[in-house]
Amino acid sequence: MKKLPKLGAGSLAAGLLLLTLFFFDTKWSAASETSFLETVKGHDVQFDNRSVRQVLPVSQPTVLAKEEYQGGTFQVLARKQEIERYRCSSCHIVNGGKEVRGKNALTLTHGNVVVNHGQEGNALACIDCHHPEDRESLEDKKGRKIDFDHSYQLCGQCHFRQKRDWLGGAHGKRVANWAGDRVVYNCTTCHDPHSPRFAKRFPVIYSVPLK
Amino acid sequence: MCDQKKTDNKEEQQKDLAEAMQEKSSRRSFLKGLSIGAAAVSATLVTGCVPSADAATNEELRLRWQEYFKKNYRLMTQEEKDQTVSRLERLATLREGLEVQIGSEPPVKKVLYGYAFNITRCEGFMECVAACIKENNLDRKTNTQYIRIFEMEPGKLDPSEGDGKFFHEVPVENKFYMGTQCFHCENAPCTKACPTKATWREPDGIVVVDYDWCIGCRYCQAACPYFGRRFNWGKPEVPKEEVNVKQHYLGNRLRPKGKMEKCTFCIQRTRKGRLPACVEACPTGSRVFGNLLDPDSEIRYVLKHKKVFRMKEELGTEPKFWYFID
Repeated sequence: MKKLPKLGAGSLAAGLLLLTLFFFDTKWSAASETSFLETVKGHDVQFDNRSVRQVLPVSQPTVLAKEEYQGGTFQVLARKQEIERYRCSSCHIVNGGKEVRGKNALTLTHGNVVVNHGQEGNALACIDCHHPEDRESLEDKKGRKIDFDHSYQLCGQCHFRQKRDWLGGAHGKRVANWAGDRVVYNCTTCHDPHSPRFAKRFPVIYSVPLK
Repeated sequence: MCDQKKTDNKEEQQKDLAEAMQEKSSRRSFLKGLSIGAAAVSATLVTGCVPSADAATNEELRLRWQEYFKKNYRLMTQEEKDQTVSRLERLATLREGLEVQIGSEPPVKKVLYGYAFNITRCEGFMECVAACIKENNLDRKTNTQYIRIFEMEPGKLDPSEGDGKFFHEVPVENKFYMGTQCFHCENAPCTKACPTKATWREPDGIVVVDYDWCIGCRYCQAACPYFGRRFNWGKPEVPKEEVNVKQHYLGNRLRPKGKMEKCTFCIQRTRKGRLPACVEACPTGSRVFGNLLDPDSEIRYVLKHKKVFRMKEELGTEPKFWYFID
């Protein structure tokens, strides 16, 4: 009878020791796991991008994208004003009208277009992207008309990974500002749609070795 | 001739001093008067003849004297910041004949800048380096560059094993390109090494240098594990017509000789909501910049959805610069 309480006290002490050890252990493991990255990811309060004053307005023409970014709208740089011979209806029949014909017309008007798009032996033809009737639009594989300003809808058919990254902000880039309303580069702002890979060239500058 | 000038000048100085004494107002106005006298005396000692003390020279000497006694940028009130900025602007006009605009924009609240670099996309065109040189008024004589691009063998991830001096047609097959610059560490070792507290981490995460408090000891350069800092052995030489006049006190203002300098995430641009010059110049979209505290920002998207890593992460410096792959 006399030994029992002693035993109880002993086990209690051991238990306490174990408990403290356990707590210390959890504390330690927690400390090593909370990295700076976790702290950053813990911030979930939205930042009002319009609160930054002095943001320069984008000077290039833009259009409202037909996609969403983080549940909101965003803008892309427009394309049409960059196309030399737009509007196409000045020669091609679009919605009725007169067609302009001429000798060697294709070479004379579109001879500078070099198609280097698609894998070898399986290169794309004009009407893979351009609408066969309405020359002022593009056409996707489901037969939907696509505006030149919204070419990402067309490119994203094959380049869906790039489109996913572009929508999130890991591919392409924003125009001018990190704050303010989101304006991003269109696919065709950087890539020539007929020859989308960047040409090899010399770097614009070289580096001298660090001492 | 010389003597005549000397006496004239002395009289002028004494008049100034007397005026200053009469004001009896502040220690500052007394120092102001004293400065003119002291500067004139030192000039006499050096040249043996007093230079023509026209109004412009007098003003320059006065401004320089006042600049010597200013506080560390972090201890200045906004009023004092405005004063030093206007002095520096005036000095730039007097010395270089430049009309510069030096800003002292405070950090934007609830913002922590972060940067991501896509090693799959970068093709080594070095547009970023050229843009950085132009934007930040870097020394053209010694070719100071804040950004380095390394041509890397596949499988290697340490830039010290890459080629940082390449100059041939890029991109080369089966090579990839990796850019380095100041990573703006959260736990920056450089700021701890500074004996004069001339470099620190701003509340928005940018590690900056107060060029006027830097004594040029280069301890911070030795402390940085990323070779992110550059030392200017001479005053940066920038052709007058190429000087970027939109400057910031902690950023791209024309540095004095013998100061430590480095990438500031283009503080003069980013605090106004603009992208750094390197991001804006990148033709491949390899560079992502944004607010780490905003869950909707592009940088947070990259951190959430991409495979990211940082350089020498094991050092615990917590750089705010991530590399990622597509």
